[in-house]
Amino acid sequence: MVRRLLAGMIYALSGVLGILAFLYPFFMPYAPAVSANAIQRQVAPLLTAALVGLSLLALLLELQEQTLSAKTVALMGVLVAVTSVLRFIEVAIPMPGGFSPIFAPIIIAGYVFGARFGFLMGALTLLTSALITGGVGPWLPFQMFTAGWAGMTAGWLPHLHKRWELPLLCLFGFVWGLLYGAIINLYFWPLAQGPVEQSWTQGLGLKDTLLHYAGFYVVTSLMWDLIRAVGNVALLLLLATPMLKALTRFRRRFHFEVERG
Amino acid sequence: MADARAWLLWALTMLLSASFSRNPLYSFLLLLVTVWVYNTCVTAEEHRSPLTPLRFALFTIPLAALFNALSTHFGRTQLFRLPDWIPLFGGAVTLEALVFGAINGLNLTVIFSSFTTFNRALAVRDLIALTPRAFHESGVVLSIALTFVPQTVRSLQRIREAQAVRGHRLRGLRDWAPVFTPLLVSALERALMLAEAMVARGYASVAAAVHTRTRALLALGLVMLLAGWLGALFVPAARAIAIASLGMGVVALVGVVWSMGRTVRHTVYRPRRWRARDTWIVAGCAPTLILLLVERGAFYYSPYPDLAWPAFDPLVGLGLLGLLAPALFAAPPPRERHDDPLRTP
Repeated sequence: MVRRLLAGMIYALSGVLGILAFLYPFFMPYAPAVSANAIQRQVAPLLTAALVGLSLLALLLELQEQTLSAKTVALMGVLVAVTSVLRFIEVAIPMPGGFSPIFAPIIIAGYVFGARFGFLMGALTLLTSALITGGVGPWLPFQMFTAGWAGMTAGWLPHLHKRWELPLLCLFGFVWGLLYGAIINLYFWPLAQGPVEQSWTQGLGLKDTLLHYAGFYVVTSLMWDLIRAVGNVALLLLLATPMLKALTRFRRRFHFEVERG
Repeated sequence: MADARAWLLWALTMLLSASFSRNPLYSFLLLLVTVWVYNTCVTAEEHRSPLTPLRFALFTIPLAALFNALSTHFGRTQLFRLPDWIPLFGGAVTLEALVFGAINGLNLTVIFSSFTTFNRALAVRDLIALTPRAFHESGVVLSIALTFVPQTVRSLQRIREAQAVRGHRLRGLRDWAPVFTPLLVSALERALMLAEAMVARGYASVAAAVHTRTRALLALGLVMLLAGWLGALFVPAARAIAIASLGMGVVALVGVVWSMGRTVRHTVYRPRRWRARDTWIVAGCAPTLILLLVERGAFYYSPYPDLAWPAFDPLVGLGLLGLLAPALFAAPPPRERHDDPLRTP
């Protein structure tokens, strides 16, 4: 009982901390300590990056404890490898826009194996492909969190009748294609905006901040993200059926037990 | 090659100074330093990435300048006016806003190129060695994944050849399905074999469950982080308490990671030795870190309201040059990269 309560607390807290840290540009104008102090404004993006990193660490510690047995370790390792190879193909053959083949497998794995597996799969896939393609940086915790959320929410999807499965996954993939860009931009935005004067002046309210962000988003990333969303749908149309079939079959096969004699 | 920890310190110092520096002269100096280190420490065969620092700069700086000039209407030197009815972009386009945006782009470029250098200068194995021991299970997933990547690449080639013999050609996206499905199924077969082998060898059969106390500490640390952060933002009166809470939260989390790491028994096959070169890199980072702590005001510059030439303090510039240490103390002999997971023999 205490264990479950603690686990629930850790999930909830790290989730809240992560979401607030992502959303901080929107409520920062209301923070009296920050709008008064230029140094605080400069520290803010770094502080949130550190907070995202720390809450990701806590969540990973808890999840790996709950989820990873010998069987899931092997399964997840191999799935991450296959997905990272897809990512490598993306780096080698530049695809248009933000198209990235890693989301379809993460979504399907989360859908089949559940939310916890989905989160770990998303986060570790991003970590592995960052190691391979040389993409380790301060942006990595944000990417891991967001991809983890994509996998986790895929685990929350209802398991409908077969006929509705594919349309549901495609819609989900489309939404996450856009959402991923919008969330990742939140990390990038305060840096691109510059931490002083203009964007966080005291008078600037939530509406102006949102408008500003909308402008930034439309100019810098809408096209890019649309291509990613459409690419997700195309890949899911192509891969979802065979992958669902294979993963469901193997999920049954992975339920082996060792007899202790 | 220098120690991964020294490199990490170098990259973090770069990140800190690039995020604090608003002065374009210092930022440009930092960029020159990074490019020099990149060119010295990254050997030619590792220039695989399509996105070099230079290309990133050519893309980011104009974009950031343009966006800022169009969306911010501060500054007195008006270049031209956009009609006011356009939402967000309508209004005066000023030289100051253009410069401000370009500085942002420059700082982003410094951050990007220093981490690119960090990634390319280190082997994947050294990067993994940086993960704390508490993340043992995630680390196992990571090393399984990295071990399986070359195998997956090989089996991808095999499957493509086998399908090509049958007259299958890769033209569009649709043609990937007959390649992907066998790839996935064979990978899952291998995962099953690996899982059986791991269970048979007793992997995780005696894993100690994490103590309830440790997890309570983890939850408590998160509560303190959240409370401290929100307190520091919204309750100026209780700033000291909030910062203390933030600090205690960090200490609690780091303590949990450390104490969980101690329970993982783990031996290193080829331990890395800390060499004089690594000490030099740390020493090279020191002046910048001290400057950031003591003289943060020196990095400040604002183009608003009137554009003025930024101040340049030679002493600060000299301190930043310490970040050249990885290039000055680089090991010249060419290095074999055995552990590149993408190179198939």
